[in-house]
Amino acid sequence: MKAALFNIVPYLGEAERGMWPVPARTYSSEVGRHSMELALEQYELADELGFDWVTLAEHHFAPLSLSPNPMVMAGAVTQRVRRAKIALLGATIPILNPVRVAEEFAMLDTLTNGRVVAGMLRGTANEYVTYDVNPAESRARFEEAMELIIRAWTEPQPFGWQGRHFRFRTVSIWPRPVQQPHPPIYMSGSSPEAGEFAARHRVSIGFAFTTLPLARAAAGHYRRCAAACGWEPAPDDVLYRVTAHVAGSDEEALEDLRTAGADAPRRGFSTSNRPLDDAAAGAGYYGRDTAAQRGRIDAQSRPMLERIEQGQLLAGSPDTVLAQARRIREELGAGILEVVFAHVPREKSLRAIELFGTGVLPRLRDL
Amino acid sequence: MGSPTWLEDHVEADGFRIRYVESGDGAPLVHLHGGGGLVMTPAHDLLARERRVIAFEMPGFGESPENTRHETMPDMARTMLEAVSALGVEEFDLMGTSFGSKTALWTALIAPERLRALVLESPAAIRPEGRRPQPATPEELVALLHAHPERVPPRPASSIEQRARTRPMVTRLMGPPRDPELEEAMPGLQVPVLAVFGTEDRMIPSEMGRAYRQLLPRCHLLFVYDAGHAVAADRPEAFTEAVSDFLDRHEQFVVSQRSSVLFP
Repeated sequence: MKAALFNIVPYLGEAERGMWPVPARTYSSEVGRHSMELALEQYELADELGFDWVTLAEHHFAPLSLSPNPMVMAGAVTQRVRRAKIALLGATIPILNPVRVAEEFAMLDTLTNGRVVAGMLRGTANEYVTYDVNPAESRARFEEAMELIIRAWTEPQPFGWQGRHFRFRTVSIWPRPVQQPHPPIYMSGSSPEAGEFAARHRVSIGFAFTTLPLARAAAGHYRRCAAACGWEPAPDDVLYRVTAHVAGSDEEALEDLRTAGADAPRRGFSTSNRPLDDAAAGAGYYGRDTAAQRGRIDAQSRPMLERIEQGQLLAGSPDTVLAQARRIREELGAGILEVVFAHVPREKSLRAIELFGTGVLPRLRDL
Repeated sequence: MGSPTWLEDHVEADGFRIRYVESGDGAPLVHLHGGGGLVMTPAHDLLARERRVIAFEMPGFGESPENTRHETMPDMARTMLEAVSALGVEEFDLMGTSFGSKTALWTALIAPERLRALVLESPAAIRPEGRRPQPATPEELVALLHAHPERVPPRPASSIEQRARTRPMVTRLMGPPRDPELEEAMPGLQVPVLAVFGTEDRMIPSEMGRAYRQLLPRCHLLFVYDAGHAVAADRPEAFTEAVSDFLDRHEQFVVSQRSSVLFP
């Protein structure tokens, strides 16, 4: 099993919670700068400890993430992370200009000499509000944007694109990706529609904001669709993202989480603006099994022990966390474990990363 | 806007009696069909709103007698040039579909001074090596031609018989997958060309489009997303918008004229 370290680049100062968008009234540029610097330090540490990937994401209008453009953040990361792959999970392609996304990924692939993982996601429902895009068109825009991005990476001659949602008279991007024919693509595999599309286009999938049983069912669907399309996904084609905290003992790890308030229900994104999420759901954003998709997001606010049981949280000593990771490998067949270290005080967080790096990572390889 | 009326007639040219349909006013646009014969699509209607569209049925196709006289595609091109002249049309825009793209390319090479611009829809003039798929049933034909066969009404059984009947001529005129004579002539063609491929083309991979861009000095390559080999049938509005804009503005069509003003 490979390991990725995900850092969402949280704002580490005071801010209003439980809403979206979040007013910037209390924003401090000093805290913002410090928050970004700590995220960069964490990516750097992950690289030193031997993590296979460091992962960035795109979120807008909330202190949850100071990385609304992961391409910019990744540009900085290329100068600090010299060995690990740099994964962007993702670019929220339906709300972006796909030609620009193709160019930015190609720049990053060039800067890293071929170490970019190109995640392409739909994002959470609230992202559609940021750039004024109708969430009802999210999936159609996603599918078209991905095809256009691949074409922009691979077509050696200038071409025009006459799409449904995108039109470009002439496209001929420079630089070109280092990885040929193009960087690996990961998309969300949570919904049945996504699994079918990923299988048809032979791209990899990732799971986040889910539970192990839900992910197992969705991964099964993806593998069955891939088989019908005549191919078999490798373990590395399935990524599972999970929150983690590692300490000297199980008791200490759980106590750290309780003290830091990390066992409180997690809110953010669309879940913090129910009318918005209801409107997006009503527009068909969640697809043909809306109830399950929304339930998966609501499941993030379960109590801590239940989240551990459901494979939503890894917590304990290195041995315990390794056993929890083994369960993900075995039940899901995932080849990439992506951990986001729980928001605990900095010293504990750094120790958790080091304990994971020294006590879990080397043995993860053999799973 | 309702569908325009199509007038059907025949024209005598080069010893052939050639059927054609015509609609619209304005600059003439001549269309040469694909290997399956003349199939009208909504794109014909859309194009006829702004120009005079003349769609020929080339000798040997449809109800016309078997065509054993044309040995090569340039022969067919010369006949079609005479047919256009017989209608009193001197200068024109030309659009060729698949098989008809090769006819159109030769027409342009033989009489470049008469062409304003050339559109190649899913051109079959340059093909990958190996046999092209030959559909055995109307269902297979529809599946090969369209991105979403389930959305297309089934073609009549006669469409397969028609293809079988014209296959010797189509094979003869189409020539080899790579035609050295044509490819040597293409770099000299100074007519503006738009080569259009559907991203879901299952007859000819859309990657073949780059060969036209490479060989023709004034060629633009355009991909129509989620369209099959039958681009104009699958995405008529998308196809027509790009073709019309190209015919109106040639290379300058890359410069957007759309306003992004939402409210004054």
